[in-house]
Amino acid sequence: MKGIFALARAHVIAGIREKDTLFWFLVFPLFLLTILTLIFGRLGQDPEIHFTIALIDREAASSDAAFSPSAIVRELFSSLTLSETPGERPLFSLRTPASTDALDAFQEKEIEQLRRGNRAAVLVIPPGFDRNVLQSLQAGGQSPQPSVEAGLQLYMSQTSVASETAAAIIEQILAGLDRNLLAQMGLYDEAASIDVVTEWTQQEQADSEVPYVNYVLPSIVLMGFFTTGLFGVPGTILYNREGKVLRQYWVTPLSVRQYLLGFGVGHVIFCAIQFALVLLLGRLAFGATLQFSSWHTVLLLILASATFLAFGFLITSFARSANGGMAIANILNMPMMFLSGMFFPIVGLPIFLMILVYANPVTYVLEALRQSVGIQAGTLMPWPWPVLVPLLWILVCSAVAVRRLRWDVGS
Amino acid sequence: MRSFAALLLAEVRNFTRDKLMLFFTLLFPVVFILLFGFLFSGMGDAERAEVGFVLESAHNEELLLSVLSEAGVGNTISFPDREELEAAISDHRVDFGLIWTGDDLRFLYDPGRLQENVAFQQIAGGIAAEFDMRAQGAQPAITVHRIHAGEIESTGWFNLVLPGILAFTILSSGLFAVSGHLTQMKERKILDRLIVTPMRPTALLIAIAIVRLVVGLISTFITLGVGMLIFRLNFTVDWVRYILFVVCSTLGTMGLGTVIALLVRRPSSAGNLANVLAMIMMFLAGIYFPIEFMPGFLRTISAGLPLTHMANVMRSVTGVMDMSDIRYWLTTAAFLGLAIVLFPLMARYVVKPLRR
Repeated sequence: MKGIFALARAHVIAGIREKDTLFWFLVFPLFLLTILTLIFGRLGQDPEIHFTIALIDREAASSDAAFSPSAIVRELFSSLTLSETPGERPLFSLRTPASTDALDAFQEKEIEQLRRGNRAAVLVIPPGFDRNVLQSLQAGGQSPQPSVEAGLQLYMSQTSVASETAAAIIEQILAGLDRNLLAQMGLYDEAASIDVVTEWTQQEQADSEVPYVNYVLPSIVLMGFFTTGLFGVPGTILYNREGKVLRQYWVTPLSVRQYLLGFGVGHVIFCAIQFALVLLLGRLAFGATLQFSSWHTVLLLILASATFLAFGFLITSFARSANGGMAIANILNMPMMFLSGMFFPIVGLPIFLMILVYANPVTYVLEALRQSVGIQAGTLMPWPWPVLVPLLWILVCSAVAVRRLRWDVGS
Repeated sequence: MRSFAALLLAEVRNFTRDKLMLFFTLLFPVVFILLFGFLFSGMGDAERAEVGFVLESAHNEELLLSVLSEAGVGNTISFPDREELEAAISDHRVDFGLIWTGDDLRFLYDPGRLQENVAFQQIAGGIAAEFDMRAQGAQPAITVHRIHAGEIESTGWFNLVLPGILAFTILSSGLFAVSGHLTQMKERKILDRLIVTPMRPTALLIAIAIVRLVVGLISTFITLGVGMLIFRLNFTVDWVRYILFVVCSTLGTMGLGTVIALLVRRPSSAGNLANVLAMIMMFLAGIYFPIEFMPGFLRTISAGLPLTHMANVMRSVTGVMDMSDIRYWLTTAAFLGLAIVLFPLMARYVVKPLRR
């Protein structure tokens, strides 16, 4: 027993001392959690979002109306170049032509800048805009749709996400202004407007959105377990076999079974350390609220760790060398992760890929874990399959490893 | 010249005999493309979005159906109740749902499709605004017309991802090519023998570079071809600029790889360091996630990464992104400059037997 724990301890310490292991098994999951949460956890609510746009008012020169919608548009966008909070960047930086600039040349130049990715959008107020808006308002909001020439021209680039986003924001701002103008003319009643409610499926409270970190946390935890099993097991055993370290074990009273037990305990401890770090980061830095403390969640985590450990042994038993083992692990890594729904939903896949999805043990442990922590309602296969399939994989992998795995060079 | 030809031939043989290297250089990017192609094709595409709806009230029903039919989405499907709609959303039979209660419009989304929900919410916002306005019998006084200013027409998301994957392939193979090969030669003591011949250190690096350059170019052709044939992606490739950039960027990243060769001693460490650097760059360079979604400080880091610029140039030469000529030439020249500076500079330090 003492030997087993000594081995487990050695396994964990070696993992922490090895820079490669430390990066891939501990630092990388934390890095990925940080990056994904920083990117996707802030979608649509990024206070730092900032666009450089151009506004060209071609109406200003021709209009002498007392009520000027074009002036209102200009003022509105000018106000959005001021930050609401000191030190924070405003939504827009606005480029407008100087009084000495020729409008055609300025517009051409700004559209060229938009094509080159230096502007997010160019908004042009065409001549006759004021008259058209006034006519529309005087007609009681019942006039036919104004012509394209009379509407605001929003130049954007469909191949730039920044431009697409800026265009959507500008349209929302202008739609708000439109409703205000209609309301002032008594053509639109804000109080009678239709409420829009956003809801989420699979939630106890449909109107509460799952924070992205909650959604991604189980994936990162399992990704850590998965890579540790897939790369860590063949890496350790095959390099130790090649370096004749294993041979030194076999001249001690240690049996293969005891070695395996020690290795397994060490692997589970390593996974536990990994899990604790990912959970701590998720909670403290990104406000994750998931609870992993129920007994079935803990059992599922142990099942996941054991499944990937067994998978690691399967690879080890097929590899002739350490490099070969790493290559097999590399080949399996991406397909198994991405065909489990770990980071992207599995939608509309062809049948041959769906077969791989159903055969993939990661799919089952991931779905079971997500359901267990309450962020997913159903699973791909009904219970008890999400547990049976990984157990089956453990059995198959162990049987193959017992038959094929060589514990010494040349054996 | 004869000795260089012999060196080149040895490198060709060495590379073609290494089945694993062949697989990872030529076939692995194809596996990547196939996997991501099937996973991502049509993801978040508003024009193909399937919208499920439940009409709980007959009030303004005709109007809502009319608004939905003009919403510019792929398909609209009616469901009898919320439960069935939720099930359809969960099973991905529809992309998002809408429930009209008579008082409010409820939009239902799958929280698991976070990357796509932003696009779906924009469609939903448009439907809601149009319905609201028409329900009050009003018409917008201010209309906005979107005009696409780019020289290149709109492309699907995967069209933007594929050139990014090509750039990533060039980067990772470039970083590893010199570092991995040299450390392997050191470990196998091949370099000990070569170094006592009149061979110039730079000649060895050039021989390695030429072989990897040709293989890298073939690899990008295969990957691009698979994307175009299987996923029917449209690219308008400027072949001259494409080949020129692949050559210069491969050489440039190999130059960076010589720095790795200087830092590590074992081939596995070289591979790991190259992998770590490539992986970090992949996430920060906007290959899979648009840079614009990132916080400001990450956008700044991203702008400093070679992979960000490589991906943008690859998008430009494959015709999915606008780029000025000067930016193309500056980026290409910068990578060539990296190679010209780093190869001779590092050759004398890295083409050395292992210190014992």
